[in-house]
Amino acid sequence: MTGRRLCTLLFLGALLLPAQLRDVEKKVTEFTLANGMHFIVLERHQAPVIAFHTLIVVGSAQDPGGQTGLAHLFERLAFKGTETIGTTNWAAEKKSLDDLEAIYDRMAAERNKGFRANPGQIASLEIDLRRAIEVAQSLEDRGEFERVIQQNGGVGLSCHVTADTSETSYNLPSNRAELWFLMESQRLTHPVFRDFYGERTASVAEEQNNLGTRPVALLQQALLATAFAAHPYRNPLHGWLSDAVNLRQADAKAFFETYYVPGNMVMALVGDVDPSEAHRLAEKYFGAIPAKALPPSLHTEEPAQMGPKSVTVWGNGQPLLVVGYKRPSQSNPADMAFDLLRAILSQGPTAWLTKDLVEEKRIAQTANAIATFPGGRYNNLFVFQVVPAPNHTLPESQKALDDLLARLIAKPVDAETLARVKNMMRGQIVRIMGNNERLAVLLPEYYATFGDWRKLFTSLNDVDRLTGEILQNVAAQCFVPANRTVAYYTDAAHPVSSPSGEKGPQ
Amino acid sequence: MMRFVAVFVIATSLSPAQTTPPAHKNSSAGASDQSSSGAAHRATAPPALPSYKDLKYPPRRPIPIPAIESSTLPNGMRLYLLENHELPLINGMVVVRTGDLLDPPGMTGLASLTGNLLIAGGSTARPGDDLPRRFQGLGAEIGSSVTENTAIIDFSALKDNADEVLDVLKDVLTAPEFQQDRLDLAKVQLFNAIAHRNDDPATVVQREFTATVYGKDTPYGRQAEYSTLERIDRHDLVSFYQRYYFPKNVMLALEGDFDSARMKTRIEALFSEWNATEPPAPAFPKASTEGAPGRFLAARKDIRQSYFAVGQIGVDYLDKDYPAMQIVAEILGGGPQARLNRRLRGYVNNLTATAAASFGHPGLFEISGVADSFPTTQVIRTVLDELTRMRTAEVTEEELKIAKDAALNRLVFTFDTQLAILSRLAQYEYFSLPRDLTEQYQKGLEAVTREDVMRVSRDRLNPATMTVIVVGNPTGFETPLQVLGGAVIPIDLTIPPPARREAVLGDPVSLRRGKELLQRAQQAMGGADKLAAVKDYVEETSYQFAASAGGSQGTETERWLAAGSIRQDSVFPTGKLSVYCDGKSGWIGASQGSSGLNEVQLKQVQGDMFRVPFTLLLSDRLPSRKVNALDEDTVEISDGAGQVVKAVFDSATGLVKSLLYDAVTANGPVPVIETFSDYRDTDGLKLPFKVAVTLAGQKYQELTVTSFRLNSGLRIQDLERRP
Repeated sequence: MTGRRLCTLLFLGALLLPAQLRDVEKKVTEFTLANGMHFIVLERHQAPVIAFHTLIVVGSAQDPGGQTGLAHLFERLAFKGTETIGTTNWAAEKKSLDDLEAIYDRMAAERNKGFRANPGQIASLEIDLRRAIEVAQSLEDRGEFERVIQQNGGVGLSCHVTADTSETSYNLPSNRAELWFLMESQRLTHPVFRDFYGERTASVAEEQNNLGTRPVALLQQALLATAFAAHPYRNPLHGWLSDAVNLRQADAKAFFETYYVPGNMVMALVGDVDPSEAHRLAEKYFGAIPAKALPPSLHTEEPAQMGPKSVTVWGNGQPLLVVGYKRPSQSNPADMAFDLLRAILSQGPTAWLTKDLVEEKRIAQTANAIATFPGGRYNNLFVFQVVPAPNHTLPESQKALDDLLARLIAKPVDAETLARVKNMMRGQIVRIMGNNERLAVLLPEYYATFGDWRKLFTSLNDVDRLTGEILQNVAAQCFVPANRTVAYYTDAAHPVSSPSGEKGPQ
Repeated sequence: MMRFVAVFVIATSLSPAQTTPPAHKNSSAGASDQSSSGAAHRATAPPALPSYKDLKYPPRRPIPIPAIESSTLPNGMRLYLLENHELPLINGMVVVRTGDLLDPPGMTGLASLTGNLLIAGGSTARPGDDLPRRFQGLGAEIGSSVTENTAIIDFSALKDNADEVLDVLKDVLTAPEFQQDRLDLAKVQLFNAIAHRNDDPATVVQREFTATVYGKDTPYGRQAEYSTLERIDRHDLVSFYQRYYFPKNVMLALEGDFDSARMKTRIEALFSEWNATEPPAPAFPKASTEGAPGRFLAARKDIRQSYFAVGQIGVDYLDKDYPAMQIVAEILGGGPQARLNRRLRGYVNNLTATAAASFGHPGLFEISGVADSFPTTQVIRTVLDELTRMRTAEVTEEELKIAKDAALNRLVFTFDTQLAILSRLAQYEYFSLPRDLTEQYQKGLEAVTREDVMRVSRDRLNPATMTVIVVGNPTGFETPLQVLGGAVIPIDLTIPPPARREAVLGDPVSLRRGKELLQRAQQAMGGADKLAAVKDYVEETSYQFAASAGGSQGTETERWLAAGSIRQDSVFPTGKLSVYCDGKSGWIGASQGSSGLNEVQLKQVQGDMFRVPFTLLLSDRLPSRKVNALDEDTVEISDGAGQVVKAVFDSATGLVKSLLYDAVTANGPVPVIETFSDYRDTDGLKLPFKVAVTLAGQKYQELTVTSFRLNSGLRIQDLERRP
């Protein structure tokens, strides 16, 4: 959940930027193709490798109604190949895939008849389906795309979809850079979502297993669905089960056509790369892609929360507490204050949550905070997660959390803590500068969010200007009951009533 | 629906499908095209699309192997320096030659605890300093990791703060404090981890696989339990630290924005006073290569999928077959094009095959994944089938080429940062491996032939004797694992519950050593016979409680009869109290009245009786007792009936320096340390006249003996008489 956040890295004044970091900044170049596709290139010649990253500005918040889980399914479809990669016979495969779709259409039509549906007909269609899947699979050259990357020394092949973005990355030895341009351009223009239904099934199974074995995942899902009444952030990344099992290939194609457009894509290359060569290859492989209309932006806004909310999930695992406070999006000037608050509360050995709840009061096993959940593009949540210690209760945890937040609101964070945490972040960002992969992820994220990758460096000033008073004001505005949603995981035999008097649904 | 699909998939995909990827697209489509309409030709792709096959690449850029300066400091520490001026950072690692393999028997977890507490437990050079806070404030990071055969502290500092960070590093490395409260917290965290170690089936299957293949009762397979951790005191950490953390046993490697010559001078000066010496660390025990043939099942009703691992003992880095084994693993499960990935696609997730080598001992060859529950047995059978195929038929040239290319091209990523280069080369030296090991490996990979792959599979891999571990719900399997042949051994995942501290089992060497230490103490005190000749004593003490324990004072008279009874009369500011016990029962009271000893009080007094020096230190004469040396200066004495105490001896004099035991209280056991000093001659015996007591790491009480009379002819009536 926390993996890809920009937040932790923004903090260092340009005034404090050592010369070396300014040198790094100088090594960044960027260009935009005529069709709107944007490239950011950072040269580092420490090792003959390049980290590549593609960011598409689309996430689960863009899932169409009734098709939640669609954006996320692209994680599994990203490397399925194209009309020329991943097939042994495209003409035959295309026909078999079309046949497959036709059978699904007929099944859907039959089921749509409701009580008039003919079960015999459905059973016979299911047999046809099996056969059609078998035929389609036999025409695949399964895994060709990934095999090609691996064979050429590619490592770290991954695709990650969040509430806001869909991102892909891998690394190659630098002499094979052209392979990325070829493969990436082809998969982003001529993808074939082969084995769509197999992946759909596998994705559902994996998520069911996840929810079944990790109660915190279940609880986070309940938190979002309760905290957000209208905004798509309320929907799980993997989608609601009934949506996810009904996704169709046509849905994926339509989604792709709408969102995977050049103007919506940001690419980064970090490492042993020659910027002019990168530009030449970008033109060669991506230049001919025609520009397309940008997708419509999401207009649904979450209405103001009118009072505290809570939800209880019953289960057999150990009790858990997750609390979310409504907070504004990343584009709000307070964004950095939230990141700094999170670092003070939750990062490292001196984190306030750990010191207070775990070490001093010993009522919690673990306690941590997430500054931005599930995504930052829209108004979202500042989240606390607490696992009570054995023989300690959820109300105890909640009270301790409330007391800690009250402290934060009552008095400005002391200068020593501020200086210490700012220094910690300074160290983190300097370390990031030495990591190709992290840079390849962050540069596009900054560009996509703020319009300028330089903010990775210049925001450092802004955070340095944050004072204890500013943090206090932000905390006072955010951490209030009217903004709060509390989620409990507990077993039915031990219902929870919150110490502040709200009774959760028992 | 899922189950339905799974059945269907089995029916088609489990039969050995063709695994040869088409050598040329244009000619082989027919081989796999079951619905061929006769036209075995490729569809024409949109003419503009180039093919990846036509790409020509410039030659591979060489990996720059930088100049690493290595030297040995006057005190024996090895130092490696690598300059890198790209960023204002200094990264480093301290490598100590020790590890989990050197945990004393019964104290699994000690090496890790010591390594972690080194940085979390403070330093005596900076009393009261919160080191984690200081590090964070400096923008620095520090971490500890202990493996089976290394103990590493790695750290990273901003150049501006490097001096201070190095100072702190030196303090924790040379003068760790192992603060008691930090140790307590670390133990609580470890207990929590034990309590939750079965939560994630993926972790469970890996753990069980590793432990089973190496042998659960071997240093490679054992794991920390409540009992092994409970047994560990601060004293044990200090001993472990002293034994292994000394200059000749330590390597320091630094990479970053510094000048080598100046840094070398700085480091030499920094550690100039660290001159501890110990005998060289013992060789790490060898791993058994027997493996554990068999099928093992951990039944879990609560999970919907089967987590499996199949494999056996593998090779180490120097094995001539290591490159070929890598290719075997790559072909079997190295990616989506691999044999098992293709056959099991759709109902196994996360399939991986690894022939991980290790340094210093053989690694593990393992094929693992997460399967749908229903076809679990078929999945295992498929894995075993493919292993058999590797032994009986050569792989194709295409497969070989793909696997070799992938492994060779990937090699550059082992050295993708300067720090990675430095750390790898330091590892090579630590394990006495040739510096050009990577080049040798590269050549080895390039030379692997199809014949090699088959030979290595035949000679080194045997599916019939592999270990198969499954963590899953057997009621969901279509066919039981038993059909694979042979018994299926259940794995019991139950976590042995926490119990009162138990005595270590000991072995002949440690038992003999324990006796020696005890007898030395007897000598130092005046001789075993003189000790045995004490038939009674009256000891008068005055004591002072620590401020945190109330701060009051008092006096006590203790009377003891060797026949087996004890009486304690205490005088407090607020009154008097007397206690009597005959070993089995007793009373407690004052002039107002007395009552029988309750369970807790009885246990407390029985403990006191156990620890009376005149019998405790003669434990070697009592057959019911065990005297087991835990290290050079410590023995654990136990009576088999629940009484356990650790005695630490002064290495110079042989006298008892302290006793460590758990005191019984109403809230559970509390660790106590009694430290003895001011030994004086009393009727030919040296006895301590000062005792300092700590309770749970905090100062509790100081006792001063005001008089000690031996053999004054006490009678039982003197003890029994009620107040």
